[in-house]
Amino acid sequence: MDYALDSKLARFARRIKQAKKKKRLAPPSPFKQYKEGLPDDKAEQLREFFADFSAHCLIAKKEKRKLRADFERAILHYENAGVSLEKALDLLAVKNLGSFYARPPVLWFPLDDAAKIYPLSMEHGIMSIFRLSVYLKQPVVPELLQIALNFTIKRFPSFATTLKKGFFWHYLDTTKRRFTVEQEKRVPCESLKVALSGSQSFRVIYYENRISVEFFHVLTDGFGGNAFLMALTSEYLRLIGVEIPPDAKIWDVNAVPVAEEVENTFAKVPRSGSASGFMDKLAVQMNGKLSENKPSRIIHFKMNVSELKAAAKKHQASVTVYLLALMFLAGRAATDELHGEASIQVPVNMRKFYPSKTVRNFSMYCGIRLPIEETTDVQSIIAKIDEQLKKKTSKESMDAMLMATVRLVKILRYIPLILKQRVAKAVYGFLGDKIFSNTLSNLGVIEVPQAMAEHIESMDVVLSPPLTNRATCSVVTMNDIATFTITKSTLDPTFEEVMYDLLLADNISMTVEGSDFYEA
Amino acid sequence: MKLKITYPPVEKRKLQRRHFLRIIRWPVLFAVVMSPVVNYIIGGKAWSLIVLMSIYMAWSLVLSPDLVEYNRISQTIKLISFSCSLLAMIDFFLSPGWAIDVVPIVCFGGLVITGVLFFTDLDRQKQNMLPMLFLIVIAILGSIVGVSIWREKSGWPLIIMGATAGLLLLACIITLRGEFLRELKKRFHVK
Repeated sequence: MDYALDSKLARFARRIKQAKKKKRLAPPSPFKQYKEGLPDDKAEQLREFFADFSAHCLIAKKEKRKLRADFERAILHYENAGVSLEKALDLLAVKNLGSFYARPPVLWFPLDDAAKIYPLSMEHGIMSIFRLSVYLKQPVVPELLQIALNFTIKRFPSFATTLKKGFFWHYLDTTKRRFTVEQEKRVPCESLKVALSGSQSFRVIYYENRISVEFFHVLTDGFGGNAFLMALTSEYLRLIGVEIPPDAKIWDVNAVPVAEEVENTFAKVPRSGSASGFMDKLAVQMNGKLSENKPSRIIHFKMNVSELKAAAKKHQASVTVYLLALMFLAGRAATDELHGEASIQVPVNMRKFYPSKTVRNFSMYCGIRLPIEETTDVQSIIAKIDEQLKKKTSKESMDAMLMATVRLVKILRYIPLILKQRVAKAVYGFLGDKIFSNTLSNLGVIEVPQAMAEHIESMDVVLSPPLTNRATCSVVTMNDIATFTITKSTLDPTFEEVMYDLLLADNISMTVEGSDFYEA
Repeated sequence: MKLKITYPPVEKRKLQRRHFLRIIRWPVLFAVVMSPVVNYIIGGKAWSLIVLMSIYMAWSLVLSPDLVEYNRISQTIKLISFSCSLLAMIDFFLSPGWAIDVVPIVCFGGLVITGVLFFTDLDRQKQNMLPMLFLIVIAILGSIVGVSIWREKSGWPLIIMGATAGLLLLACIITLRGEFLRELKKRFHVK
């Protein structure tokens, strides 16, 4: 027995010795090699740079090492790209980290009223996530994107958080860590792992010329997500050497965050009379078999915005109404049902009624409903959709829904989370998204400064696949390209094929991009 | 409709937990239904309740773990709470008389482990304080109630459990000071 223990200890000691030897003999890291080859004055510059970095970075050692490695990789990238060390250190100036990593975390944020449902209703593999992407004209440099994220995160304190469980409600607790940029390898809008200590509730990913950010809806809505993506892209472009003059459209990453940017605006809206708007009848669903892996496919129709506007004008409708009409027709073709109502959910940005700077959720939604028997052609439904959209997205209707949300939150506030969770899961599991057939989220036209627009091709939005709807759609316009995106949850191609034919029939030329099937 | 692929191929996904749960749900449901039926048919002590509790424990700890706050402190405390409940049930339904000593000892062990986990990584773990506070409160209450009910029996495990919980609470307050109150404010907010 003793002999066996001795032999085990000896083996263990030998292994440690070997590992140490291996480490000693390993070639120096590329950055170490680079540093050793520098003349004295430049080596001194570099030493000063990292001394400054140490003064700005007082987080856990492991995270600090990762941040330092980010700077080393970026310096090496600049060196390989022929950028002088002075210029590189100027672009990477540590002052851009601000004091975010120099102070312990103190902020925390109660969830806004709209976000409260997301952690209550989530399940393994089912999470409300949306994704915003910009397509640059050049491939993305991951080293610089990581630095851009390191510099941008301080401007969005409510994003630098981890979801936590309180006794009555969930909340967001600040986490000071190095937030990670990843290469795209996963299915779009795949669930985030938010359970571990310090987990992030968003992910920044890159693929070829595309920068994407996927947000758990608990953090923000499309408006806040877009503010973050644009600030990140602007910072990235600055790091690759593009000079972007300050512009009110893009958040300055070095400005100090203010309370209005992270407030729960629901709590500030004046209380009005009626409250209604959540419940509705079940809607007709498309009939394709729901895929095991969701989404089953992502499809982007990239259209010329002038042609799209002309087609909408031809039908005397706005772009949203026109696209809704086509979606009703395509949805009609994708179902075998002969009776019932189809319903399309349309999110509404409440900032248009109550101006707010918040990057937290401040959106509501309405449902546009049509009997499928009446869904025969664009002309016959467009006026009905227009009428409903005007009525249901009016300030009065949205106020009523907002009041219903605020009151519900108020009623539930003293019920322990453990009970709320069970009830929410049961209700959500029973109803889920069954009162809608589809969704159309229109982020509108995204305007950026000219210097930035010159480096961006287009943009798109991807919504996470719902539970029972077979498709969910979004549209965003940038640089005269309107990108209509379909997130599919079935292999049945009818919906997108009919949409494509209808758009083509109205003389809208487009390129179709997207993913392969994620489920064969 | 010609589609240009602009997304990378994804690695073939491993069996997702959601799919795994969908598959495993049926044998688990079968066991949940069958064990009380078999217990009723063959009679005897209510062992099926122990089976049901064990299944719930396995489901909650292993098969469908927490989606928010899955950390070493919360999981340790969950394991200890389940174990103590299971031991108390075994005592009550199957073989009475020993749990009054064993449960406080297990709980004491749990408090010590949790304290070590908490204080060895204080910066990070202070964000995970709530489950530990629950265990502390339950241990203190359990100790007070236990000692007053079973005063005649030797109550030393209960006293040690309560004292350890009190000391742990005191250590938390002294170490965290103002942050302790801030943590409580976060955890019990109603906004």
